[in-house]
Amino acid sequence: MYSIYFIESSKLNQLAQDLTKTHRVFAPVEKRANFTCEADFSYKKFSLSSTLDFNPYRAVEPLKSFFTYPHEKVADYFSAEKNVVDIPQETVVFGVKSCDIAGHKIQDFVFLEGVEVDALYRAKREHTLIISGDCIDFKQVCHCLAWEILPYPTWGFDLNLSPLNEGFVAEVGSRKGEELIAQHKSLFVPIRDAQIAGRRAKRESLVDRLKRHLLPQNLVTKDSVQKLVQQGYNAKTWKEFMLTCVECGGCNFICDTCHCFLLEEKKQNQPGLPAGGQNAKLRLWDACLYANYARVAGGANPNKLRAQRLRFRFTKKFDFFVSNLGIPACCGCGRCIEVCPGKIDIREVLKSLAEETKEKT
Amino acid sequence: MKNIYRPIEGILEEIITETSNIKTFVIRSKEDFSFRAGQFIELSIPGIGEAPFTPSSDPNVKEKIDVTVMKAGRVTSLLHSAQKNISLGIRGPYGKGYPLEKFFGKDVLIIGGGVGLAPLRSLLFSLFAQIDKYNKVVLRYGARSPADIVYKQAIPEWAKLNKVDIMTTVDVGSPDWQGNVGLITTVLNDLPVDVKNAVAIVCGPPIMMKFVNLKLLDLGFDPKDIYLSMEKNMSCGLGKCGHCRLGKYYTCKDGPVFTYAQLQGINDIWD
Repeated sequence: MYSIYFIESSKLNQLAQDLTKTHRVFAPVEKRANFTCEADFSYKKFSLSSTLDFNPYRAVEPLKSFFTYPHEKVADYFSAEKNVVDIPQETVVFGVKSCDIAGHKIQDFVFLEGVEVDALYRAKREHTLIISGDCIDFKQVCHCLAWEILPYPTWGFDLNLSPLNEGFVAEVGSRKGEELIAQHKSLFVPIRDAQIAGRRAKRESLVDRLKRHLLPQNLVTKDSVQKLVQQGYNAKTWKEFMLTCVECGGCNFICDTCHCFLLEEKKQNQPGLPAGGQNAKLRLWDACLYANYARVAGGANPNKLRAQRLRFRFTKKFDFFVSNLGIPACCGCGRCIEVCPGKIDIREVLKSLAEETKEKT
Repeated sequence: MKNIYRPIEGILEEIITETSNIKTFVIRSKEDFSFRAGQFIELSIPGIGEAPFTPSSDPNVKEKIDVTVMKAGRVTSLLHSAQKNISLGIRGPYGKGYPLEKFFGKDVLIIGGGVGLAPLRSLLFSLFAQIDKYNKVVLRYGARSPADIVYKQAIPEWAKLNKVDIMTTVDVGSPDWQGNVGLITTVLNDLPVDVKNAVAIVCGPPIMMKFVNLKLLDLGFDPKDIYLSMEKNMSCGLGKCGHCRLGKYYTCKDGPVFTYAQLQGINDIWD
């Protein structure tokens, strides 16, 4: 069991500023297009002069964007140094939410387990502190509870912050978190029972509000979703929902659990890139909604149709991962819903499948 | 810690022309490299492109690897125009390979189509090396025409080996062709194998494998005894990049060789 403390808001700000001396610190900053719409929170690099915002719900960017990049070099061709991965800069990420952590379990499974460990990913993981926070509000698209994910983290963080009065209940979740506290001991004070009770009351109240928001939506449940996508393999839903898809790949790139990438080549002295350097291997995020995702040499493509590609995305999330990891690869963050120019809503696709398979049986 | 994306350097020592659109590339690796029959590698032209291939050489020969490549897409076309002595990148080996010990004491039926004989050649070498462990080895190979047959010199030599039975067929014959004419499925009747104590290993274009698989099931083969090489877009080779997913499997790490029993229940496996 790790320790739990209280930290005043001003002290937390000081912690973030102190950390900038030794770490790259990222924290969400409010961005609001106008006052009639929901505020968005977007990650920015935190500096000595910054003030920490507490984001009430998840940021725009998925947590994965701190561990794999849309475009990065993963190896040089025939470099003298054998098999060595550079040690990345120490990094701190504030504002991580429960959905992000749940989604990140998928990334960890992909890159840290299986036949080989991805050393680049592991190095970033080891050198990154995750400072999460309870949700104190939710976006219209939020539906974590549908996947039995609570809107406050209970695992997977180094330090979790729960706003209370003029500060935060600060719960440590790892040895790295304990070390962080030890180095900044003076900023934290012992927790009181009343503060723990206060945190519980706030959490329960948000869960209640979110339940009331989600109940009328009649969402597909965690237990039924695998069978649903299996039975709905030939459903019309896939085609109907893809009528508005513009194949931008946004849903894939913004997704906390989507992990697909493509290995590409960087040519030495490539036009448009800095001169010199060696040939290198690049890793680029890829999207299963792209037409050529599954294409093989000679042109054969099992996912020629957009409907096949949507089905591929859903069977990956709700069948493959349930079979291989025991959980669906959706954390209910709703980012894909917000980003989609075609207004394709993951909740609605599943509900439509449920309708269609019910009609049949 | 090991960087799983780092390619090792290999020198392209020799290029053998097999047919008008198939060449065998002989590569000497600069670092230790070995593989088991059926495993594949990611072969790259540095800075240009990378693609998955199953080596076609004898896994017991460590100094060199042969990769037999049909000109089919961008990377294979560039490889076909490559000159000797250039550096190529090698990653791997990946995948599971053939479970040879499961074939001990059995009739091993090998069915190849076109360039699909390439990975099977590596399997054949492995079988020949311990031929006393198997009951017999039966190869049925189909090509489009006599000119499209790969390993033209080697096949008659293999046929002379003890416990080895080989038959080649072509879809379209030529005046000097003395062998069988007809699709591969036409040479699968009256096979000299005991289906109750045999395994069948199939590699070729998806359409050929689909029909050969149906034929084998007709002949009474157990789905657990039919080994199929699945073709998917494999980018990383490590079960991480996502492209080659086949139902609950990744072709690269769980295959690329699957038994038909593993694939039953997965939709559209031949697409």
